[in-house]
Amino acid sequence: MNTAIDSSYSPDVVVIGGGIAGLQSALDLADQGMSVLVVERNASIGGHMIELSKVFPTLDCASCITTPKMSAAAHHPNIQILTYTEVEAIESIEEHHVVRLLQKPTYVNFDKCIGCRLCEYACDTEYPDPFEQGLGSVRAIAVPFTNAIPQKAVLDAEHCGTCGTCARVCPTGAIEFDQQPRRLSIHTDAVILATGFQLNAVTIKPQYHASLSRDIISPLTLERLLAPHGPYGRVLRPSDGKIPSSVAFVQCAGSRDESIGVPYCSRVCCMYAIKQAMLLSGALPLADITIYYMDIRAFGKGYEQFYQNAKAMGINFVRGKVARIQPVDGSDLSVLVETTEDAENPMQEHRHDLVVLAQGMVPGWNPKGIVNADCAGDGFVATPQLTAPTATTAPGIFVAGAAAGPKDIVDSIAEAGAAAMQVSEYLYQKRSLTTVG
Amino acid sequence: MPRIVDEKLMQKIKRHGAGGKLDVSACFNCGNCTAVCPLAQDSGGFPRRVIRMAQVGMERELLASEELWRCYACGECTQTCPRKADPAGFMAAARSYAISRFDLTGLAGLANRSALGNLLVFLFFSTFFSILLSSNGSFGHPELPIFQFLPGEWIHDIGVVLFAVVGLSAFLGLLSMTWRFWTMQRSRGVQLRLSAIPGAIFSALEDALLHRRFRNCDEEQTAVKGNQPWYLRPWTVHLAVMSGFLAMLLATTLDYMLKPIGSPVPPWYPMRLLGLIGGLVCLYGVSVVLVRRAKGGQAPYDRSSFADWFFPVLLFCTVVTGLLCEIVVYLPSPTALGHGIFFAHVVLAMDLVAMMPLTKFAHVLYRTLALALYALRHAPAKVTASVEARV
Repeated sequence: MNTAIDSSYSPDVVVIGGGIAGLQSALDLADQGMSVLVVERNASIGGHMIELSKVFPTLDCASCITTPKMSAAAHHPNIQILTYTEVEAIESIEEHHVVRLLQKPTYVNFDKCIGCRLCEYACDTEYPDPFEQGLGSVRAIAVPFTNAIPQKAVLDAEHCGTCGTCARVCPTGAIEFDQQPRRLSIHTDAVILATGFQLNAVTIKPQYHASLSRDIISPLTLERLLAPHGPYGRVLRPSDGKIPSSVAFVQCAGSRDESIGVPYCSRVCCMYAIKQAMLLSGALPLADITIYYMDIRAFGKGYEQFYQNAKAMGINFVRGKVARIQPVDGSDLSVLVETTEDAENPMQEHRHDLVVLAQGMVPGWNPKGIVNADCAGDGFVATPQLTAPTATTAPGIFVAGAAAGPKDIVDSIAEAGAAAMQVSEYLYQKRSLTTVG
Repeated sequence: MPRIVDEKLMQKIKRHGAGGKLDVSACFNCGNCTAVCPLAQDSGGFPRRVIRMAQVGMERELLASEELWRCYACGECTQTCPRKADPAGFMAAARSYAISRFDLTGLAGLANRSALGNLLVFLFFSTFFSILLSSNGSFGHPELPIFQFLPGEWIHDIGVVLFAVVGLSAFLGLLSMTWRFWTMQRSRGVQLRLSAIPGAIFSALEDALLHRRFRNCDEEQTAVKGNQPWYLRPWTVHLAVMSGFLAMLLATTLDYMLKPIGSPVPPWYPMRLLGLIGGLVCLYGVSVVLVRRAKGGQAPYDRSSFADWFFPVLLFCTVVTGLLCEIVVYLPSPTALGHGIFFAHVVLAMDLVAMMPLTKFAHVLYRTLALALYALRHAPAKVTASVEARV
């Protein structure tokens, strides 16, 4: 637990969320000389982007872009970071905000921990690694992942057997089993909500029977399978460890579907499916790869070309909404679709051995009851002003990235910069008025 | 053949939808409905293609499409539709529209478009039959046995004429549908084999009587929607309604042919027993249907048009009054109440028959024909000698 910060610290801006949007906002503000506190609920900053293998449409390595940002934020003299910390409330009184935080106990003193990992190596309790989407396993006390920031061990009390081995091997005596949750009240002038997104469950559509097969996976699971430092170091089927020979991407599996309550488009699925299909054809040169889509939304810069490249690479695109996925004959997955482009033979059943469901982006955090910024009908933070796209309905509270709606990395970063600029302008005006008054 | 586009087609079909709420224009043709449908697996011909026909105004294609009738309205497509476009509701409305178009009298259109029209047609027939029956009835003599109160011969004479007229009307409707189907297939260059007709008719009748394909819908429902007890599954319920009705029809016909009219027989007399059992079975089925509609809940029972209610309610009333007649005849002396029930039963039964080609009831004709036409279209082509030689 980071105890270097207490309630006497009052930064200019508090950024809620340490993903790529939050970090970009924090860096842009800090570079202008403002003091920024970044609050992250997970044990490491980096958000979803650090989980990815590569990014579209450039196929750059995701962690090669994220890690320098994380590191820059962590080492910035104007930025403080609180990980493993939840926001309990943001109380706003006349454009002044009190952010009430709850630091969850890590049972490791961050001042003493040197990130040597001796505790991790000694620990004999393992559980499915959430960072690897449950595919690999992680010790009950561990640094969250290889390039996590901060590089401090965190003990998971739920899985710890309290054997005490970690405390015995720790060279600095950093393990503190008696650590308690810590509450902080941070006074600030502006808040940026960069709380990001989460994917809805792969089991959300009962017709896809994801609960019956481990080979019907979420796209984030495939990102880990594709990542060079992923759980297996190669692409294998989660159920039996075989090399998949036929992979299907089922688009709009969690969005643009009113029957599951997500009518909007998640905006990124077409592009990451194309990206993953390209990476798969590199990782599995012999595999057949099919993308089932309703329409390909390749709207960004260079995206259409990316899509055309994928088609030219031999990735099979089938137009039609997949209605059913069913495990058959032991390990195959049957995909039922009406292809609207084949008039002679519209009803098609295809067999695959790995199916990736394009899950919908839903809000990562519900601000209701915590902050008085309103949400739009889709659950994302509302941004009603057309000319101030990062301003929420509450003065002094701004929003950036996927917290305001589904967005890809490029747009998130652009919006994070915009939010930083709006905050900066807001604070400048507020303070010059105060000085004059 | 030129394609004739009716740009008002969708609006016309919408008028047949439940409560005017049908909005299939939300459909973006993703094909989920077809792919999820347990009955479209072999052809892929509905619901999306039929919706598309309506969207672009291809009325001729729509009416010639036997696929319209291959849907049994299990509601799976509506429950999973990404656009909440209600494909099942559309299919039901399009069938109602087709019934109106196949009927040459124009009465079906009146009865199916609005509740008022439906009631008007019903009142017309009820009044007509009441007057016709009364013209030979002996009112004001409650002591008379019921078949002397309304002479059995008179009822039967009306019945025979009624069946002949309705039969002709139904035949013309079926002919209309067959003609549309035939010319459409010819224009598409599909070679239909006349020799396959008997087989197609046989398979259609077999399917209609045993509800074979209907069963597929049911299995899908139990897989996704959780288990319903067997006696509440749509398949069982519909089979109960149909077989009960057929038993009553058969009993009435045999009764007429084999037994002097109005002669008293004990309840275990085979024809009477058959009618009694049929009545009870049909009553059970139709009651479940009505309760399900009243409860609403999952598609397709969440939306009901007046026509959806009218046919089962009419059937229910007919069966209930018929069963009451079975009790009334055992009263120590026939009463005015007994006469009233009997009179109501005869009028309702005649309404039911007369309105058969006009209401939802008409599906027994068109669905069976559609099954036969489908079987005909998909009959395996004859292997020609040259192909055989090559093999």
